[in-house]
Amino acid sequence: MQSKKKVLIVDDDELHLYTTKELLQNDFIEVITHKNWLGVTNVVRNLQPDLVLLDINMPALSGDKLATIIKPYCEAMKTPIVFHSSNDEDSLRDLAKTHGVRGYICKGNIGDLRSKVNQYLKLQA
Amino acid sequence: MKAINAQENVLPVGELIVSNEQATPQTAVNKLAERFFSTTDLDAIAVVEGKEPIGLVTRTKLLFTLFRRFGFELYGKYPIIAIADTTALIVPENERLDVVIDKALERQPQDIYDEIIVTTPSGAYKGLLSVKQLVIQQSNSLATNILQKEMASARAKELEKINQVKSQFLANVTHELRSPVNAIIGLAELLRMSAEKGSIEQIKERLSFMISSATNLRAIITNILDLSKLEAGKMEVSFQEINATALISEIAETTRILVGKKPVMVKVEAPPLAIMISTDPIKLRQIIMNLAGNAAKFTEQGEITLSLSIIGSSRLEIAVADTGIGIKEQDIDKLFIAFGQVEDAKTKQHEGTGLGLTISKNLAELINGSISIRSAYGQGTTFVVSLPLQNNNARQGEL
Repeated sequence: MQSKKKVLIVDDDELHLYTTKELLQNDFIEVITHKNWLGVTNVVRNLQPDLVLLDINMPALSGDKLATIIKPYCEAMKTPIVFHSSNDEDSLRDLAKTHGVRGYICKGNIGDLRSKVNQYLKLQA
Repeated sequence: MKAINAQENVLPVGELIVSNEQATPQTAVNKLAERFFSTTDLDAIAVVEGKEPIGLVTRTKLLFTLFRRFGFELYGKYPIIAIADTTALIVPENERLDVVIDKALERQPQDIYDEIIVTTPSGAYKGLLSVKQLVIQQSNSLATNILQKEMASARAKELEKINQVKSQFLANVTHELRSPVNAIIGLAELLRMSAEKGSIEQIKERLSFMISSATNLRAIITNILDLSKLEAGKMEVSFQEINATALISEIAETTRILVGKKPVMVKVEAPPLAIMISTDPIKLRQIIMNLAGNAAKFTEQGEITLSLSIIGSSRLEIAVADTGIGIKEQDIDKLFIAFGQVEDAKTKQHEGTGLGLTISKNLAELINGSISIRSAYGQGTTFVVSLPLQNNNARQGEL
């Protein structure tokens, strides 16, 4: 069997990490969660994820700034970065555009979450 | 000056007429001179034929002419039109003040202070303007305009700020409400999945997460509703005699639970005799609990002290002091603004709706008290709630 795709989720909200992980992981997807912006770069380099989901509102370093930092590594591995946040959809769309990340997913929309994640992972294959 | 005037709504000169003295062209010079002699505040007379002004006689010029050329004999019996200034400045009554002043000042130096004749739009004589008065009027209106402009721009800035705070408030409310709702949606889906699998353990775990998310959501909604009730003046107050010392000790117990495993000591300092106070116990508890809760949240180590002291004979001060991160001086003003939470929402480190202090301040005012703050960044914060020992329930009826 083909090895599982790896999705890295960065969020400061533990409950959100738990639900998203439980919602996404299945026979094809392995979910790795990271509760802090600290060390994300290392995780990205070591784990080589196939997709990164970034929260926006996080202590000390917001997701959009974090995206700028990890983008060079992700681009080298052709790993898409996607914002996943409770913020307003318009603001997410704008942020995704200005930071040149692949897209955004609104928290709470489970159908969207699953279909977009599958889409990004398949595109990757 | 012109540039400023052009933008302003300047008075029409018709409203600034100082006199409507007039004489016919045939009036003898000596008769007119007598009018000037007998009326000391008469500065000028217009020469009017029918209704149309055709010349101007000013006190200075008339007397100058008469004296210098031995004029009384020479001109005394002449009709006034012979020596009147027939090129006097004539303006319509609806002309703007600034335009008239410009015209007046463009005249020959010896004519600059001559009165100006005002006519109706059809050209009939209306009255005279004094250049001196016009200049005074203009400088007054200029000063008022500048003042009004400054006030208007200050007001505009204020409104803009209020608007910003409001839209910030809305953005924050939305985010704060969405987070727990999204968690609940996710958990509901997970519960469905667990139910399909028939895993009771998972269902139990997920249900407890869901309950805590829902409880959190309710707390946020309660806060928002409290705030809107307070702002609409719809919060009800009921005063009764309570033991403040006991209330504070009880809040200290709850604070110890909130501090959890952090090395923070929670202390109560109070006079040995229990302090009785007439107040609204529910509101007072909410205020002190909010302050103590904040102290617990923002203090990593050290102590939190709740203290009670009687000030004078009629007031009680309850202080909540912590050794937490403190507040920068420039941030103190923002504290009591709804969602003014000092950290940027995108990067904020501490949970909270950002409504607590705003609510506490409003509640304190409702029970005739006040909240003040002493803080040094890095050294901790002390909030002091000052309350009257007595509150009359009768007054409440008026509220």
